[in-house]
Amino acid sequence: MTVFHFFNCALLTFGPHAIYYSATPLSEYDTLGTCLKTAVVYLITALIKLVCLATFLKVTENDSFDPYQELLKALIGFIDVAGLYYAMTQLTHRNISQTHKFQAVGLGWAFADSVLHRLAPLWVGARGLEFTWEYILQGLEANANLVFTVSLASLGSLMWLRKNKPKALIPFIYACAGILATMPSITSYLRRILDWDFPKVVGFELLASVVMAFLSAQLFLACQRRSSI
Amino acid sequence: MAGRKGREGEMLESVYSVIALVYILVACVELCDAATVLDVYRLIQYDLAGVPFGSRFANLNHHAGSLPFRSGADLSRTVVVIPIRELNVTILQEIITQKDRLGGLLLLLPQKFSFDNREGEEGGQTYGKDVMQKLAELEKLLIHANMPYPVYFAFEDDEIDEVLADIKKNDATGQHSTSTIGGYKFVVSTPEPKKVSSAIIANIQGWLPGLKADGDVSQLPTIAIVASYDTFGAAPALSVGSDSNGSGVVALLEIARLFSRLYSNPKTRGRYNILFGLTSGGPYNYNGTLKWLRSLDHRVRESIDYAVCLNSIASSENELWMHVSKPPENAYIKHLFEGFFNVANELGVNINLKHKKINISDPRVAWEHEQFSRLRVTAVTLSELSDPPELLESFGGLYDKGHFGDRTAVFRSVKLVAESLARHIYAPLGKNIQIFADGSSLAVNPSYINSWLNLFSRTPRMAPFLSKNDPFITALKRELAEHIAEVHVQYELLDGMFSFYDSTRARLNVYQVASVTFDLLLLLALGSYLILLFSSLVIVTRGLDDLIGIFRRPPSRKNKTA
Repeated sequence: MTVFHFFNCALLTFGPHAIYYSATPLSEYDTLGTCLKTAVVYLITALIKLVCLATFLKVTENDSFDPYQELLKALIGFIDVAGLYYAMTQLTHRNISQTHKFQAVGLGWAFADSVLHRLAPLWVGARGLEFTWEYILQGLEANANLVFTVSLASLGSLMWLRKNKPKALIPFIYACAGILATMPSITSYLRRILDWDFPKVVGFELLASVVMAFLSAQLFLACQRRSSI
Repeated sequence: MAGRKGREGEMLESVYSVIALVYILVACVELCDAATVLDVYRLIQYDLAGVPFGSRFANLNHHAGSLPFRSGADLSRTVVVIPIRELNVTILQEIITQKDRLGGLLLLLPQKFSFDNREGEEGGQTYGKDVMQKLAELEKLLIHANMPYPVYFAFEDDEIDEVLADIKKNDATGQHSTSTIGGYKFVVSTPEPKKVSSAIIANIQGWLPGLKADGDVSQLPTIAIVASYDTFGAAPALSVGSDSNGSGVVALLEIARLFSRLYSNPKTRGRYNILFGLTSGGPYNYNGTLKWLRSLDHRVRESIDYAVCLNSIASSENELWMHVSKPPENAYIKHLFEGFFNVANELGVNINLKHKKINISDPRVAWEHEQFSRLRVTAVTLSELSDPPELLESFGGLYDKGHFGDRTAVFRSVKLVAESLARHIYAPLGKNIQIFADGSSLAVNPSYINSWLNLFSRTPRMAPFLSKNDPFITALKRELAEHIAEVHVQYELLDGMFSFYDSTRARLNVYQVASVTFDLLLLLALGSYLILLFSSLVIVTRGLDDLIGIFRRPPSRKNKTA
């Protein structure tokens, strides 16, 4: 039963990425190369992030919430955005449209994140005999994370690649992108200060991901409509 | 394919929906229930003349269940958990005699029996007699049964009690936990028990020489004091036997200490040699005693005036028995008994003489002194037991724990034996001397006895599982050597029809597990979620026509995507 459980959790964690790739036109335009390149960028970004965290962050003995440290952590979290920026603008993509580019980048990014953060605990934990909900929740979290990343990538493509966007929408775009970029800090805040338990946090993340995806999609469509006119 | 899956799903869902709902509710409540680990002690596994007895397996990996069962339930994949306080021995006997195959059996001993529990260690009956009785019955049953499944003992604690309450709740609702319904899984993974290749028995011998008068060529007579120190119990790792025969060994150590003080001064050195023997192999017809006696120098053996064997002398009833093999009319025995009787009277102990003839052709040796008697050495056994025990019985069972025995009885018995011996040795001084009077420098030392009894009460010492250089044997030898100059250990192989198997203790992991049904449902839910995701993504990005188009394509494509 345990291998079965592992299979289930892995399906929940990594299935949506595969589905996303195959169901959307990404597969038809053969954007796998872009996804892989993004994954490599993610890897490097994660390394840089680790080095920064190790350099600038004090290791606290107790699990207290230090606002200064948290702020620093959030700032280091913005390295992710820089990585996304690099992946989106500096990588040479084969001729794919912007719509597909941001999706491919977001997907590759989220997939690399899932593999790096969730595969090892899953392999070690979910095959154990003891049943916990943790790995199922972790899989749901991976889903939410995919949505967040794709949303952020879409907003990023608006910010960095599109020249003629409506002026009125720019503050909204930046606000949404800011929220998305600070999402890890927000969840960490919820978990540690408000002392929410894991299911509650995951519920919040799912809800937030739906809301943010909706907002991003509206912004993206608004810009697209404007440019197509 | 999706359609078929959907239909299957509906069918399964209708069957399992109720169970799943209940299960998910239960599981949600106990979201973070971590695995519990507890120490377990395996029932002894041995062959007697090639016939297998005890628990024949050690590995355990089954779901847990509790009493009572529905009749006719298949228990071959269930670990039955029974706390001793609720145990009905007759029901267990039925299970064992019916040869029902269980997945395993876990017997929970009351917490008071655990090694960590030190309250009430200073004597006093802290547990009901009925529990003791039940344990004795249970032990007798288990030792002589052949169970083709693992049987373990463990001590109750709060965690396992919680688990047990949970198991009971599940069982009460009619769901026996099997692999289809979640529950608790008990896992013990140990290597398969191996036969103990050669059981070594170590006999420790101490020699306290008496004072020879000048020009006295003839050898001095010898008095032997003997106690068997090893144990036998249902759980080898729990078999501490603080009464049988910890009390006897401690008494021997204390007597050795007292007499060594007397003998250290030439003025008070008696005209008797004293031979101390700590023998092993007691439960197996006193095999160790026999070997020790045979290896003794025959001059020493012939010089033995008499031997006193000490066996279970922590009598709380204030009653001791002197078991003899020679008829009580024998003048020597009469004299010996009178000596003990007089001292016992002064101490307020009731002592009785009991005669049991030896049948030379019978291999069974019920008392240690019978080994001496077979070699024509006068010997008696001092014991609280009035009747000879059966083979493997009364050698440190589960109930024989230090904190239940009566310590003052041990002090009294020590005094009785020491005083009687001293009066025999210093007979010329007159009848009414008191050598080991309380308060004198030669008084019995209660704290010495207590500390040794405490050590015995926490040291399991079944001979086959004691190695040659076991710290316990070394400690005994050292302690004896502290008082007596001539001490040696003699190693022999235990022979006879016994062979034992190892892995006497292990760790039990208790896991809360989800059922296969739950995982099936989860798979189903995930499958539908992914299919839904796929369909909606296709519709949003390419339109409905594309989606329909996909399902018209060859099936290989479908499999890949779903």
